[in-house]
Amino acid sequence: MNTSLLEQQYKRYPKAWPQFVIGFVAIVAVIIIWNVTVSFGGFTERGWGMLALAFQGLVRPSWAVISDLGPTGLLMMLAETFAIGFLGTVFGTIIAIPLAFISSRNIAPRWVNIITLGFITIIRAFPSLMYGIMFVKTVGTGAFAGVLTMTIGSVGMLSKMMVESVEDIDPGIIESLDAAGCTGFQKVRYGIMPQLSSSIISNVLYRLDINVKNASVLGLVSAGGIGAQLIFAIQSRRWDDIGAMVWGLVILVLAIEYASTKIRNSLAAKS
Amino acid sequence: MFDDILHIFYPRSYTLGNGKEVKEKFNPFPYLLILFIAIVIGLSVFTRVNLTALIKRGNNFFDIVRAMIPPNWDYWPTMEKAMLDTINMSLLGSVFGCAVALPVSFYLSSNFKLNKIYLVSHRLALSMLRTLPILVLAFFFRTVLGIGAMAGTLAISVFSYTICVKMMYEYIETLDMGAYEALESTGASRLKCILGAVWPQVKGFFLSTFLYCFETNVKSAAILGFVGAGGIGLNISGQLTLRRYGNLGLVLISMTVTIMVLEAVTRYARRKLVTG
Repeated sequence: MNTSLLEQQYKRYPKAWPQFVIGFVAIVAVIIIWNVTVSFGGFTERGWGMLALAFQGLVRPSWAVISDLGPTGLLMMLAETFAIGFLGTVFGTIIAIPLAFISSRNIAPRWVNIITLGFITIIRAFPSLMYGIMFVKTVGTGAFAGVLTMTIGSVGMLSKMMVESVEDIDPGIIESLDAAGCTGFQKVRYGIMPQLSSSIISNVLYRLDINVKNASVLGLVSAGGIGAQLIFAIQSRRWDDIGAMVWGLVILVLAIEYASTKIRNSLAAKS
Repeated sequence: MFDDILHIFYPRSYTLGNGKEVKEKFNPFPYLLILFIAIVIGLSVFTRVNLTALIKRGNNFFDIVRAMIPPNWDYWPTMEKAMLDTINMSLLGSVFGCAVALPVSFYLSSNFKLNKIYLVSHRLALSMLRTLPILVLAFFFRTVLGIGAMAGTLAISVFSYTICVKMMYEYIETLDMGAYEALESTGASRLKCILGAVWPQVKGFFLSTFLYCFETNVKSAAILGFVGAGGIGLNISGQLTLRRYGNLGLVLISMTVTIMVLEAVTRYARRKLVTG
């Protein structure tokens, strides 16, 4: 009696071998893919020495770059990077809000939603640096092309996130405002805005984080920001300049990330 | 009318019948709005935002898009390898990054009461590494390792590592530690405690984090070729500078399809992981 009960319990115990088989197959697959894709040619000339030099540059950043207040100095480049990220977020939000409204199921008819959602998906699928190149060809080099690039990137992500919160709007509140005889403006102000504002603001702040971080590589396609100087410095191996720029970037991004997380947490606590 | 507009900026006060004065609550919103608009205008001047140029030459942008429209299908054999490389780099990078991240994230979660100094310094180093965009990492690895998919894979590994560790330790810190303590009280070693009590709880979340990394990394892997770190990016920037927009159209179509398929698959898998 007792043993049969024990055996029954053992039979109910989940079997471990499928996990091992899956794990084994996954490892073999990774090894095969590794051999197909990557050829490890060893380090290039004095690779390890270069790593050491890079570390040295981080420890001892160049003061000439930090104290330079001109257009190639660290402060101006960081300010430009921040400006590109900030403006891209603002303009992106301005475009994303109406786009999100017309692609929500409860506001616009279904065929409109399908068109706009398809548009959003296509925008999101392309890498943002490609938009950077296209805008540089359109409006010329400089920070403006960067702002446009960041705008398009923000529109894609923000409208996708906002659609979810717009579709979650509680129609009961608007109905009750209607019953109380409110005008259209009042319905938007007291029925819709309080429901949406906190989620929109937290999404926008999150995007600001990403945008400032991404704005630092726009320089690669000469669309402004710190990227161009950083790439030049890596190319010509001026490790102390790289150190200064990396520190500046780290401090800027961490400060924005800290502030935006603080604000988002306080918003989440309020709602 | 004019008075109404003025009262947007400072609160009204009413005198009641008993001679008492009542003030409205002060609302800082209009001032903040003006400050915000001033900042936006200031930064627009700083970055030389030029809407007339955009309107005047905006059709250049759509000219490029229009030139892509009949994509050049003959280009496919040339870019096939690069397209596969992009997906493989992303997969390999995510596997390595997340595999290293898994044990480390246990060390970095504060509920196991490990070495405090190690925890804080490692977290600080991680968040510094996280602020560097993946392209800068790739460029650095390319300089050290030479051109090729190796540099891109390493950059993606480092990037996935930082993301995965952060998500994992934040998740582990919210877990129920009762089972862990129960196992600890039976005298099990720390590894057995983790395997028995914590791993079953984090398994699903870890796999879904890995899939998230894989999905986002395909997108980043697509641009790593811009700096010569392997993948399809080299084809994008090359065909764009050569103005062969038909080829570019094919690259973009195949990328869009790949990303949409991967997104659908990973979304399905992640929903399964979270519920079951």
